[in-house]
Amino acid sequence: MTDSPLRLLLDFDARSQRDQDQPPAFLHRRDRKFALTCAEQGQVPNAQRWLEHMAHLSGPGSLASAGQKTLRLWRGINAGFALAGALFGCLAMLGLLFYEGGQRINITVILAFVALQLLLALFTTAQSLAGWQPWRWLVRRLTPDRNSGAATRLQPMLMARAAHLGGVSFAVTGVLTLLLMVVVQDLAFGWSTTLDTGASGYHQLLTTLAAPWATLWPAAVPDLALIEATRFFRAGAGASAIAPERWGHWWPFVTMLWICWVLVPRLLLTLVSALLLRRKARQLLANHPAMHALLYRMETPTLDTGNHHNDAADLPDTGTNVSLQPLPDSNLLICWAGVGEPELPQTLIGKHTHQFRAGGRASLAEDRATLTEIANHIAESPEPAVIVVTRGWEPPTGELEDFLTSARELWPAGIRVALVPLPLHLDSEREPQPHQLSQWLRFADRLGTGFASVSAPRLHWRDPHAELLPEPGFEPGTESRKLP
Amino acid sequence: MTAAPVFAVVGHPNKGKSSVVATLSQNDAIAIALEPGTTRRRQAYPLSVDGHTLYTLVDTPGFQRPRRVLEWLQAHSVSASDHAQTVQAFVTQHQGDGRFTDECELLAPLIDGAGIIYVVDGSVPYSAEHEAEMTILRWTGRPSLALINSIGNDDYSDTWQAALGQFFQVVRKFDAVRAPFEQHLGLLRAFGQLEPDWEALLEQATDFLSDQRLKRRSQSAAIIARALEDLMAYQEKRTLTQNQSAGTSDDTLAEQLRQRWYRHQRQREQSLRIDIEHLYQHQRIQRQEAELEWHNEHDLFSEDSRRAWSVSKRYLATAGFGAGAVGGAGLDALTLGHSLGAGALVGGLIGAASSYFYGDRLMLPALQISALQDGLQTATFGPVQDSQFGYVVLGRAVNHWWHISQRNHAGRELLDLEPTDHHWLEQLDRSSRQIIQQVFDRRRKRRPLDDRERQKFITAIEQSMGAYDHWRLNRT
Repeated sequence: MTDSPLRLLLDFDARSQRDQDQPPAFLHRRDRKFALTCAEQGQVPNAQRWLEHMAHLSGPGSLASAGQKTLRLWRGINAGFALAGALFGCLAMLGLLFYEGGQRINITVILAFVALQLLLALFTTAQSLAGWQPWRWLVRRLTPDRNSGAATRLQPMLMARAAHLGGVSFAVTGVLTLLLMVVVQDLAFGWSTTLDTGASGYHQLLTTLAAPWATLWPAAVPDLALIEATRFFRAGAGASAIAPERWGHWWPFVTMLWICWVLVPRLLLTLVSALLLRRKARQLLANHPAMHALLYRMETPTLDTGNHHNDAADLPDTGTNVSLQPLPDSNLLICWAGVGEPELPQTLIGKHTHQFRAGGRASLAEDRATLTEIANHIAESPEPAVIVVTRGWEPPTGELEDFLTSARELWPAGIRVALVPLPLHLDSEREPQPHQLSQWLRFADRLGTGFASVSAPRLHWRDPHAELLPEPGFEPGTESRKLP
Repeated sequence: MTAAPVFAVVGHPNKGKSSVVATLSQNDAIAIALEPGTTRRRQAYPLSVDGHTLYTLVDTPGFQRPRRVLEWLQAHSVSASDHAQTVQAFVTQHQGDGRFTDECELLAPLIDGAGIIYVVDGSVPYSAEHEAEMTILRWTGRPSLALINSIGNDDYSDTWQAALGQFFQVVRKFDAVRAPFEQHLGLLRAFGQLEPDWEALLEQATDFLSDQRLKRRSQSAAIIARALEDLMAYQEKRTLTQNQSAGTSDDTLAEQLRQRWYRHQRQREQSLRIDIEHLYQHQRIQRQEAELEWHNEHDLFSEDSRRAWSVSKRYLATAGFGAGAVGGAGLDALTLGHSLGAGALVGGLIGAASSYFYGDRLMLPALQISALQDGLQTATFGPVQDSQFGYVVLGRAVNHWWHISQRNHAGRELLDLEPTDHHWLEQLDRSSRQIIQQVFDRRRKRRPLDDRERQKFITAIEQSMGAYDHWRLNRT
């Protein structure tokens, strides 16, 4: 029970350290979902519920948490302190009550010892509040792996609690030993001091000390007569005239002195240290950076931008076996989809060239008329071929495919169609870019072999003298346009 | 509640429809190629918040036979009032007709009420060929917006703008590969303005997107901070038996450990790269090739990258002064101020001096062999004793983060991480510099950071990311 906020903190700390390796998006989804589930059930999401939820999802066997490991360590330390306290309590009381028959047991020594115990108890609490850790070396030795941040900051509190537990068991075994000694031996108490103090002064001191139990157990408050009677001097002559049993009348006072000024303060301080520990653990949990992050994740909606679909590997086949062909000799030229507006390159147009327009703005009826008209021209030609000039930068569409399919049906068999994709900049020497040409090559391939081909003729006049010189990279296949 | 709007991204084949969708949906796994017909089916990309869709983008194939479609529509229409119905009738009639698969795919979402985002390529001249498509889209009666994308280097956007203005309510320029994030948000807001009902939803979506971006920045800082903590404190360890240690010379042992130390550090840096990329939803960045090329030319620990990424001696001295002064101030506190701040001054001077001299050379972590214990010896290598190492890693990490955060998901080119030629870190504010230096010093002594120190370190890293961003934007 006492450990619950502490355990919560340690478990939370351990869990958050494990979460450090998780991608933030996952953590956000996970915790937001938990918060939404809590809201549905009308619960407020908190650390306790969150940890239970995580443990529940991990299934049985997830209980051996890092928090538990630390708690077990501290239980061990507490037990060690309690054991040592018990042993020392016993020994200390035996030492205090050492009586071989000659000397009296000096009440003043017992008073001093009790005062020391009280002082030590108060010092332990003060030290834990100030955060001093004189025992740090011990904890370091006992923990082979470095403690987590949270456990390190709790160490002074934990240590104080262990020390107080040791003190409690010290006090308990002390009082038990005292009672045992009272039963089995005749103890002769007296009081003695070098200071020149009278019995009345001593009586006043003892009455003040005995105030807490004076009404409960009046017999445990020594009266002035007893004090006057039991003062002794080591240098004085042996036993005085008083009856020997009077020496033993001090034991109720000694017992109550021990209980009230050693045992009870220790018990109270143990309680205080446990409460301080809980408060500190709660504070640390509330200020834990991972707690802030968790709250943020639980409060902020998760955003999914629609990135689940993945077809990156599903790319069309861009390979083709078809290559560029020389431009056939033909005076029939179709300008597809508005190409050549305002004008075509001069190298494509001869004196007898018949230009037709199709596609683009032209209607489908106009396309059909063009096809019929060309069919008539072809009938007159011995080696029929048609040139279709297109925009090289636009992709070939289904419309051109339809147009050429109709042409194939309408025109006589054996006719050659040459597709000429023009580059974007007619004034430059450049051909259309390779990826643009290749889409036209694949288009021609789809139309079927022997019907359409792709040509990329040179579009500029050249110096006839330069023609004589062999040119590096000269490809006869692309340079076959015969000028009319 | 209003239904979430759907936007169908339509157009001529090969004009970058998929690129626009990839960038806006932050999906780098959409097939994009300079090949008509890469998109064969329509595909929806919903943006959802906690599972509730705010809007959906639909990527569609391009028009293949617009004139034939228009001819059919005109033949089946009596007046302008039946245009939308006629389009619907066309799709119903031609479902399953192989010739009109693409048209049916792209018109179907419009019939279901989607808004039209018509994409053209502004780097090629306008042609009247597109008018049939635009007329068909107008027949659907849906709210519409035209986007001038830019695939090539030329610019014909003015003629496009004039032509598109006749057909579309709104015309905007948007470069899917290069547009900065603010333009993405601006475009989404413009989508919202197509219909009054959509505005609030799109506004909400853009708010979420900007929040997400801000959050990603601080998450990146935390990821980088963590990697720096690891890298600065890494120690390669090997346990040797007595025979082994007798059989291996110190030089060989040092060399082996050095190799392993380097390998580990490089792997850690790579995992940092991947974490940042995944944070920004870049799953498929081609860095494999870049990385190889990168390692040959600018190896992580080479002189070149040191020259590019390390900070100057003056920088180190000032940062070291700050870090030392903090330690010295602790002494002042202990003497309850009786040392009158002398502790801070002395601490600062010591810090400055040690940073100045210590950080001068890229000192390699030394080999250390422990005494024989139970017949076993431990040889350790590292951590690196030069804080410049941390600045090199930091510089490279911030540079990578910046490129990733600026990269659109339509980008398919290789990510080339050139080292910069400027010590941009010198624009960082003084206290952030000191925090960074302090953490480097702590970690090379293998001291752990507590939560508060870590939080401060993360903030300082975020500041340095801001400084880099600022420097990049203001570069001539």
